[in-house]
Amino acid sequence: MKRYIALFIILILSANLLVGCGGNDSTDTDSFTYNDYVSTMATNWNPHTYETVSDNYPSEFLRVGFYSLVFNDELHKVEGKAPFEGYKVIPEMAADIPVDVTDRVRDEHPEFNIPASAVSGYAYTIALNPDAKWEDGTPINADTYVYSMKRLLSPELLNYRASDYYSGNFSIAGAEAYAKGENANFSDVGLYKSGEYEITLVLAKALGGFDLVYALTSNFIVYEELYEKCLTKEGNAWFSSYNTSVDTTMSYGPYKLVSYQKDKSMRFERNEEWYGYTDGQHEFIDPISGEKRDMYQTTAIDTQVIAEAATAKMMFLRGELMTYTLQAEDFDSYRNSAFAHETPSETVFFLILNGYADAIASREASAGFDTAKNDLQTMTLLPFRRAIALSYDKELFASTISPARSGALGLIGDSYLYDPENLLRYRDTDAAKRVLCDFYSVPTSEETDLDRAVASITGYDPETARDYYEAAFDEAIAAGYITDSNSDGVSDQTVIIEYCVSSDSDFMTKTVDYLNKKMAEVTAGTPFENRVSFVKSAPYGNDWVNKLKSGLSDTVLGGWSGSVLDPFSLTNLYVDPTYQYDANWFDSSSVSISLDVNVAPLGEAAVMRNVTMTLREWSDALNGQTVTIGGEDYNFGSGISDVATRLSILSAIEGSVLSTYNYIPMLQDASVTLLSKKAYYVIDDYNPVMGRGGIAYLGYNYSDSEWNAYVRENGGELKY
Amino acid sequence: MVKYIIERILLMLLTLLIITGICFVLVRMLPPAELAPGDIHTEVIEARREAQGYNKPYLVQFGIFLKNVLTRWDFGISDKLYIGQEVSAIFADKLPVTIIVNLYSILFSIPIGIGLGILAAVRKNSLTDHTISTLTMVGISVPSFVYAFLIQYFLSYKLGLLPFLMKSGTDYFSPEMFVSMLPAILSLSLGVIANFTRTTRAELSEVLTSDFMLLARAKGLTRTQAAIRHALKNSMVVVLPAILGNFVAILSGSLIIERIFAIPGVGNLYINSINGRDLPMFMMLTVFYTAVGLIASIVVDISYGFIDPRIRIGSRK
Repeated sequence: MKRYIALFIILILSANLLVGCGGNDSTDTDSFTYNDYVSTMATNWNPHTYETVSDNYPSEFLRVGFYSLVFNDELHKVEGKAPFEGYKVIPEMAADIPVDVTDRVRDEHPEFNIPASAVSGYAYTIALNPDAKWEDGTPINADTYVYSMKRLLSPELLNYRASDYYSGNFSIAGAEAYAKGENANFSDVGLYKSGEYEITLVLAKALGGFDLVYALTSNFIVYEELYEKCLTKEGNAWFSSYNTSVDTTMSYGPYKLVSYQKDKSMRFERNEEWYGYTDGQHEFIDPISGEKRDMYQTTAIDTQVIAEAATAKMMFLRGELMTYTLQAEDFDSYRNSAFAHETPSETVFFLILNGYADAIASREASAGFDTAKNDLQTMTLLPFRRAIALSYDKELFASTISPARSGALGLIGDSYLYDPENLLRYRDTDAAKRVLCDFYSVPTSEETDLDRAVASITGYDPETARDYYEAAFDEAIAAGYITDSNSDGVSDQTVIIEYCVSSDSDFMTKTVDYLNKKMAEVTAGTPFENRVSFVKSAPYGNDWVNKLKSGLSDTVLGGWSGSVLDPFSLTNLYVDPTYQYDANWFDSSSVSISLDVNVAPLGEAAVMRNVTMTLREWSDALNGQTVTIGGEDYNFGSGISDVATRLSILSAIEGSVLSTYNYIPMLQDASVTLLSKKAYYVIDDYNPVMGRGGIAYLGYNYSDSEWNAYVRENGGELKY
Repeated sequence: MVKYIIERILLMLLTLLIITGICFVLVRMLPPAELAPGDIHTEVIEARREAQGYNKPYLVQFGIFLKNVLTRWDFGISDKLYIGQEVSAIFADKLPVTIIVNLYSILFSIPIGIGLGILAAVRKNSLTDHTISTLTMVGISVPSFVYAFLIQYFLSYKLGLLPFLMKSGTDYFSPEMFVSMLPAILSLSLGVIANFTRTTRAELSEVLTSDFMLLARAKGLTRTQAAIRHALKNSMVVVLPAILGNFVAILSGSLIIERIFAIPGVGNLYINSINGRDLPMFMMLTVFYTAVGLIASIVVDISYGFIDPRIRIGSRK
């Protein structure tokens, strides 16, 4: 009997093996599947509660904003622009562009507190797309929007995303008070139904033009019946399982979710109820074929979790994935591949340099610190900090420790656009160039020399750096921070700069080694020869921010990123103590700068005036808040002040913050990705607004079945 | 025996309560995950913590937790990793695949491991024994993730014989699913086979030198017949608990193997729950695995009595 059972098990297993090895090549000849991978699978893509970037992954497929941006081509003409050099705004869930009704709403609805002097930028009506439907065919109308906003801001539900609608520049009137339970009346919230297919949006801060449309490229609507069903209460807290599975997801975008397995995979297929497949707006002239074609050629998106880059690489090379993001070790092989595409990111990483004198003095006074051998206080001296800023070639640093990234020179990265409509970059402006020249001590007396001067900046200027080290030595001796007992002109103490480590890694080690190596080169022959040392801290975990902010650790590569289309909003990060890393040793409310600015409202004749404000006030005014100085109101927000004025304020703030040497820019984030031969992008160069067009524009060289055949023909292993 | 079992069960429940209480209090004492400076969601996060009762005294919180578990079998709702979903349901969703992959691995490993152990013991000090012993040492020393990468590189990438990852879906007994699990099963099995081989060889070698083995040979049995019919049963006193121990490990899964082969099991759930500060998830896992560990220890203790009648647990003279 036992023998028969064993034989039976062996037969079953063998049959499994044979059948399983057979593979499954049954693919539709017209199907174009995008095989994607993520390291972490989304678990909650509810627009009201999602918290992470991973959780936002399905949004691109399932949701559509009021407006979207499409490349300009013959079908989407933009005045004065050649095809595929710019973009155009098209209405999606909206039927038309927003209509400014500030005048009327100000008078009819005093509850929204629109300033009496305001004539535009505060209230808009938005006509809704009557063809918009949920994937089950249920129409989406004004009631859907009002219900969704009411649930989003509900003080009971305490939704994570509620503050997105009142904390930033896009701030709905009355939303904060309602969400925080300070006002229970939803009719005081600036989003109401003004027609079956029309809503009126009232803002707490003026916003107009591109910034408004861009803020409306996202959406917040939910399917009422399903949303209510998914709510549960535990104790006093409400939880929602909306958008956590196929059954709790209702799409209104180009794709719908058809399968989902936690921590494993998700699959999207075309949502045939989506208006965009038939509305005539979602088509373009393909620059590769020259023919008109529909957007969203992709018929399905198969996404799976792949945690190991090595696995993803092997699968990509066997044709099982559409992209592969290069790791440091891949650059030698694939940097120059025709299939490699660089994607810049807006994040700038800088060395935050400790200047908290009190904390440093107290660390030196602690029992374990040997002041005869080591010193911390010298790092607070300005010449020393300036010297550090000139000790590193930023591009070399990037290529050594993180090849996908590039060097950063300023606090605001190369990607940021001050004029998204015309794709004009902040870093290309004269004002921004002068900031860099000042920071890196490059003379700019001749206007014509500006471009050449900026081009010459690498961040590495050993001669000037050595002068600063000499000056720092004299200052430190005079202040009693260090000694020179044998009068040999070399410090007796080593300046220890603790590199704040959250968790140790190869990247940290490489960074610290590089910093020390180059520091040794630059300080050779100076009073600090072999007397400056970066040392790694113990792993501080999540506490690393507190260690830095409280001056208990000295430096780290930290970064900020913001909206690439709004460099102006970055100023808050450096002058608002809530965000500042250096709040304990830099008070932006005590530093004033004077600027000649145009104080006339946008569109009127310029009125130049010299205005003095603190950095904090300049930043507030730049971001749409009215600041009163000497009885005069100033507001240099978007849509209120002219771009030249706003640029001069932005560059002045950047220059002023850089001059503290609390932040030394080092790296600009980027990644390089290989794209499968199965598909192609419609443009090669990355567009800061449109990227490469995303899933909407992706074109295919092979259908699924053709691709399988192609991979087989090539022996299952492709060359890139 | 019955009295002994009842005593052990009562002690187990007390131990479970103490461990659960300690873990609950310690984990609730952890500060919430750090947010970036000035994160606009700080207020709402704090308000949610208040609503969820995180600011109540720890013992009150523990009381509520116990009440919910004992009266409603409610371990709570995930508030970080799987927001809004019941932690017990998530665990129940993810546990089967872990069990199946590990079970296949054990079923694959036991006969091979014991077989090689017998072979090595019967041919002790021969070339066969030395070869098996050397391979066993390699098998034990090399971590399973090394096998995983080697299998992925050679069998999946170079030869294209097996898929890189486990297939999606819950058709765990379909042929395609079985094949997609093979790389993981093989990676997990090599170390386990080596362990069984070593344990079986060591025990069997000792038993083979016993007097009763001489008697068996004197009766006319061959060396192999004597080893399998008489010595193997005696050596099972040590081997069987090792097998049981491996079955317990089945429930916890392998973090690294599940990660490499994209197995959506429970392997990384524990560590993710503590890193992500998903306290309801952490507590459910703590209670489950503590209970499993305690039950397993009782089962192993009792099993000795069945394997070897000379062992009498709990008897007092």
